[in-house]
Amino acid sequence: MGCSSSLPDRGSGRLVGPNVENGGAADAKNLRVKLVLLGDSGVGKSCIVLRFVRGQFDPTSKVTVGASFLSQTIALQDSTTVKFEIWDTAGQERYAALAPLYYRGAAVAVIVYDITSPESFNKAQYWVKELQKHGTPDIVLALVGNKADLHEKREVSVQDGMGYAEKNGMFFIETSAKTADNINLLFEEIAKRLPRPALSSSSSIQNP
Amino acid sequence: MMPEERFNVRHAHKPRRDAYGFALRPQYVQTYQEYAHIYKEEEDERSDKWKNFLEHIEKSSQSCSLEKAHTEELPAEATEQKAYREELQAEPTEQKAEIVSESDEEGNDKSSLKSISEGSSERDPKKEAQLPKETGKSKVQTWSFIRSSLSSIENMMSIRVRKQKNMKDEHIVVDKDHLPSIEEVPSQDAFEDGQEEDIYLDASSGATSVSNRESDGLKASGEDEVVDGGVCNSVQADQTKEDVANGIHPEPLFPWNQELESLVHGGVPRDLRGEVWQAFVGVKARRVEKYYYDLLAEETDPGESMDNDNSCGAFRKWRKQIEKDIPRTFPGHPALDENGRNSLRRLLLAYARHNPSVGYCQAMNFFAGLLLLLMPEENAFWTLVGIMDDYFDGYYTEEMIESQVDQLVFEELVREKFPKLVNHLDYLGVQVGWIIGPWFLSIFVNMIPWESVIRVWDVLLFEGNRVMLFRTALALLELYGPAIVTTKDAGDAIVLFQSLVGSTFDSSQLVLTACMGFLAITETRLKELRDKHRPTVLEVVEERARAKKWKDSKGLSAKLYSFKHDPTITEEKSTTEEESANGDVSQSKSDSCNLDEMLKGLSLSSELDSLSDPQDQVDWLKVELCRVLEEKRSSVLRSEELETALMEIVRHDNRRELSAKVEQLEHEVAELHQALEDKTEQEAAMLKVLMLVEQEQKVTEEARISAEQEAITQKHALYVLQEKYDKAMSSLTEMEKRVKVAESMLEATLQYESGQAKALSPRSLPGSTQGNPTRKIPLLSFGLGWRDRMKRSNDSKSTNEQSDPPIPQEETTPTPQEKTSPTPQEKTGEEVQEHVEGGSDTQVFD
Ligand SMILES: Nc1nc2c(ncn2[C@@H]2O[C@H](COP(=O)(O)OP(=O)(O)OP(=O)(O)O)[C@@H](O)[C@H]2O)c(=O)[nH]1
Ligand SMILES: [Mg+2]
Repeated sequence: MGCSSSLPDRGSGRLVGPNVENGGAADAKNLRVKLVLLGDSGVGKSCIVLRFVRGQFDPTSKVTVGASFLSQTIALQDSTTVKFEIWDTAGQERYAALAPLYYRGAAVAVIVYDITSPESFNKAQYWVKELQKHGTPDIVLALVGNKADLHEKREVSVQDGMGYAEKNGMFFIETSAKTADNINLLFEEIAKRLPRPALSSSSSIQNP
Repeated sequence: MMPEERFNVRHAHKPRRDAYGFALRPQYVQTYQEYAHIYKEEEDERSDKWKNFLEHIEKSSQSCSLEKAHTEELPAEATEQKAYREELQAEPTEQKAEIVSESDEEGNDKSSLKSISEGSSERDPKKEAQLPKETGKSKVQTWSFIRSSLSSIENMMSIRVRKQKNMKDEHIVVDKDHLPSIEEVPSQDAFEDGQEEDIYLDASSGATSVSNRESDGLKASGEDEVVDGGVCNSVQADQTKEDVANGIHPEPLFPWNQELESLVHGGVPRDLRGEVWQAFVGVKARRVEKYYYDLLAEETDPGESMDNDNSCGAFRKWRKQIEKDIPRTFPGHPALDENGRNSLRRLLLAYARHNPSVGYCQAMNFFAGLLLLLMPEENAFWTLVGIMDDYFDGYYTEEMIESQVDQLVFEELVREKFPKLVNHLDYLGVQVGWIIGPWFLSIFVNMIPWESVIRVWDVLLFEGNRVMLFRTALALLELYGPAIVTTKDAGDAIVLFQSLVGSTFDSSQLVLTACMGFLAITETRLKELRDKHRPTVLEVVEERARAKKWKDSKGLSAKLYSFKHDPTITEEKSTTEEESANGDVSQSKSDSCNLDEMLKGLSLSSELDSLSDPQDQVDWLKVELCRVLEEKRSSVLRSEELETALMEIVRHDNRRELSAKVEQLEHEVAELHQALEDKTEQEAAMLKVLMLVEQEQKVTEEARISAEQEAITQKHALYVLQEKYDKAMSSLTEMEKRVKVAESMLEATLQYESGQAKALSPRSLPGSTQGNPTRKIPLLSFGLGWRDRMKRSNDSKSTNEQSDPPIPQEETTPTPQEKTSPTPQEKTGEEVQEHVEGGSDTQVFD
C-alpha cells in the first residue's frame, strides 16, 4: 500500500540529485551556478564581485587570502532566476596551487585581466589553458578586461582581448568595477549562456 | 597607553572601527558595542592577574641562581646596544608612554606606529644601516628590549627557539643538496667584513639566520651566560631542550608555566601584548644585531638592488606584489598612513630578503601590519621571522606544501569529530577545505572579529606551534555546525558559515572551547597526521612541476640561446621573455638564477680579498673574467645538451606516464562500470524483493479483509438468530397461555358434560365415555396432563381410537350438538359419516 507509492519517488529523487529542495518542479527555471573568478593579483576580481553583489566600489579593497565566497541571484527576461555562487580566489601566483580546489566542479569561470597590464593579460591566458585542461567539461568561460575606465592607460587593446576570446570560444567583455560599466551585463550574459537542464542534461549546473 | 585605546575613545559615539582601529562591518557594529563592555571588564581583570603573576615570578626567579644570569645580562645588553641607543631605556614602558603622549598632542589620527615610522623615514635607511650609531639621536625607537619583568618568560621561550634552530640546522645540512638554488643569492653580495658575510650566508637559508652563533653558544654554554640565561645548570638545560623538542614545557625549571598557560588562555593584557608576544616568539634569541638594517641597506642601495633585480627576477616580482598589497592592508587604518605604510614596506622587503624560499606571500602583509601596531619596527621584523620561519615553516613558500598538508589533516579531524556536519556538507557538495583554507592561511585575520583574532594569537604564539590553529577551527565548527546542518544548499551553507564566524565576538568562549574542548589535538598527533598526508600533496606538487617544466622548456632554450650570444643583456631579456611566454615563471626564473649564481659566485670574492695590490687585482680579475666567460660558454653548451636530453626524457616520461595513466583510467572506468552494474543488479533484486513483499502484503491484507467481512456477517447472523430465538420464545409463551386457556375451557366443558350425564341417565354413560376421548384428542398434543389421561382412557377403551385423527371442528360444537341431538345413536351416526369422509372404516364400530 504505502510501499508501492514510495517506489517511484525513490527513482526520481536519484535522477534529480541532492539539491532538489530549493528547485522543486521549477528546476529549469531556478538555476544554481558555481562560478569561479581567476586572474592576476590586483586586476580587480574582488571589486567586480563586490560591485555585482553589493553594488559598491571600494577603491581600497582588501587583499584576498585563499579565497572568499559571495552569492547573488539575478532574474532574467524569460522569468528564470540564476543564483550565482561565486568563489573569488587569491591572485598571487603561488595561490594557484590551491585554485583547483575552487574551480573543480565550477560551471563558469570568469578570467579577469587589467587592461592597463599586459602581464595580467598573459596570466589570463595561462588560466584559460589551465581550465581547458583541468576545468569542468563544458565549462562556460568568460574573459574580462577590467578597469576599462582607465582607458588613457590602456595597454591591452580590445582587439587583442576579443581575438583571444574568440579563438578560445569564450565570451568577452570589458568592464569597470569602479564605474559599474558592464558588470551586471557580464553576469547576465553568462546566465544566458548556461546550458539549461531542460534542454541538455549537463550536470555541471545542478551539481557542485 | 596603546593606540587602540584612543581609537576606542574617539569613536565611542559612532564606532566604525574597533578598539584596535580596524574597520567594523556595519552589520556587526551593534554586537560589537554590546561586547565592548565585556572586553573592558575582562581587560581589567587580566591586567591585575598578570601584574600579580609577573611580580611573583620575578621574585621567584631572583631566589634562583637566575639572579646572577639576569644581572650579567644587563651589562651585556648594554654593550650590545651601545651603538644603537644612546639613551638606553631602563624602563621601556616609560618610553612608550612618551610616544603615545606625543602622538596625542599631534592629533588623534597619529599612533605610536606613526611616530616610529616617522622617525625612521626621516633618515635614509641606507644611512641608517651604514651609520647605526646615529640612530640613537632620533628619539624614535626602532628597536626596544622588552621590560625586565617579562625576562623569565622570555628566557623560557628562548630555549625553545634555540632548540628549534639546532634541529633546523641539522635539517638544512642534510637538505643542502636539494636546496642549491635561491638560497645562496645574497651570498654574492660583497660584504666588507667577514663576520657579516657569515651571518648572511646563514640568513640566506631562511630559518638559520642566527644558528651558527647560537649553536656555538650552546656548545659552550658555560662560557656564555647570556645565551643560556635563565638556566640554572647546563645538564638541566639539556633536559629542558629535550622536553621542548617533545612538546613538553620545561616545568621543573619554570614551575609557573602552568599558571602562565592559564593566564594566556584568559588573554594577554593589551599594554603588555606586544612585549609578551615577542617573549613568546623568542625575539631576543633570534635577533642578530644590525641584521635588519643590513637587509634594508641592500634594498635601498641603488647599485646593489639593481644587481639583485637583474640576478633574480623573483625579487622584483615580490616587490611588485608588496606594492600592490600595501594599500590593501587594513585600508583606512589610522596607523597605516604613509609612514605606517613605509614601515610595512620595509618590513616585508626585509623579510623577503631574509628568507627567499618564502619571499613575499599574500597574508604576510596582514601579519606584518598587525605586529607593527603592537611593537617597534625591528621587533616586529624578528617576531615575523619567528612566526614565518618556525611556526609556519613551509606554509607560505612557493609550493605552499605544509598549508595543503594541514588542510588534509584538518579534513580528517573534522570527519572524525563532526561526522554529522561532514555528512551534511558532503550532501550539499561543500568541501571543508573551501571554508577553512582561508582561516588557516590568514591565521583568522579578517575572518573573525579582532578581539578574537588576537586572543587566538596569544595562545598560538605561546604554544609555539600550529595546534591552536586546528583547535580554534574545530571550536568554530563546534559552535556553528548545528546551524549549518539546517541549510538547504551549498551557497546558503557557506554564506551562513562566513557570517556566523565573522560574528564570533565572544572571544573568551572561543578560546575556551578551543583549548578545553580539543585536548586530544596535540602536536604529536598532528605530526603523525601530517606525515601521513604529506606524500599525497608532494605527489600533486611534483606532477604540476613536471608539467610546468615541460611547458617551460621552450622558453628555456630560447633564453639560453640569447644568453650565449649576448651575455650582458641576458638577465633582463630572459625575465621579460619568461613573463610574456606564460604566467608561470617562477620555476624557470629560479633556474636562471641558479645558473647565474653558479657562474658568477665561483669562489670569486674570497680570492679577491687575498690580493692586496690593485694592479694585481685587476689582472687577476681579467683572468678570472675570461675564465668565467669560458666557463659560462661551456656551461651554456652543456646545459643545452642537458636540456635536449631532458626534453627527450620528459617526452618519454610523459608518454609512458600517459599510457600508464590511460591504462589506469581505463581500469578505473571498467571498475566503475562494474560497480554500476552491480549496483543496478542489486537495485533490481531489491525491487523484486520489494514487489514480493508488497504482494504478500496485499494477499494478507485481502485475507484479513475477507475475514473481517465474515466476522461481520457472522455477527449479523448471530443477531438475526437471537431475534428469531426471542420471537420463538415469545410465541411459545403465547401458545402456552392459549393452551392454559383452552385447558381450563376444556375442563370446564368436561365438568359440565359429566354433570349433565349424571343428571340425564345412567345408560348414556357408555356413550359418553366413548365420545369423550374423541373430542379431547386434538388438545392432547399440547398438554401433558391430557396425554396421561388419554393414555388411561385408551388403555381402558379400544386401541383403534388412538389412531383416529382429531377433528378440531368438533371441539367447539360438542355442547350444542349434545344439546340438539341428545340420543347417542344419532351422534354415533354423525361420527361415522365423518369418519368415512376421512377414509377410515366405520364398520369397526358396528
Ligand atoms: N580604476 C579602476 N580601479 C580598479 C577597478 N577594479 C579594481 N580596481 C583597483 O584595483 C585594486 C585591486 O582590486 P582587487 O579587487 O582587490 O584585486 P583582486 O583581483 O581581487 O586582487 P587579489 O585579491 O590580490 O587577487 C583595488 O584596490 C582597486 O582600487 C576598476 O574597474 N577601475
Ligand atoms: Mg581579491
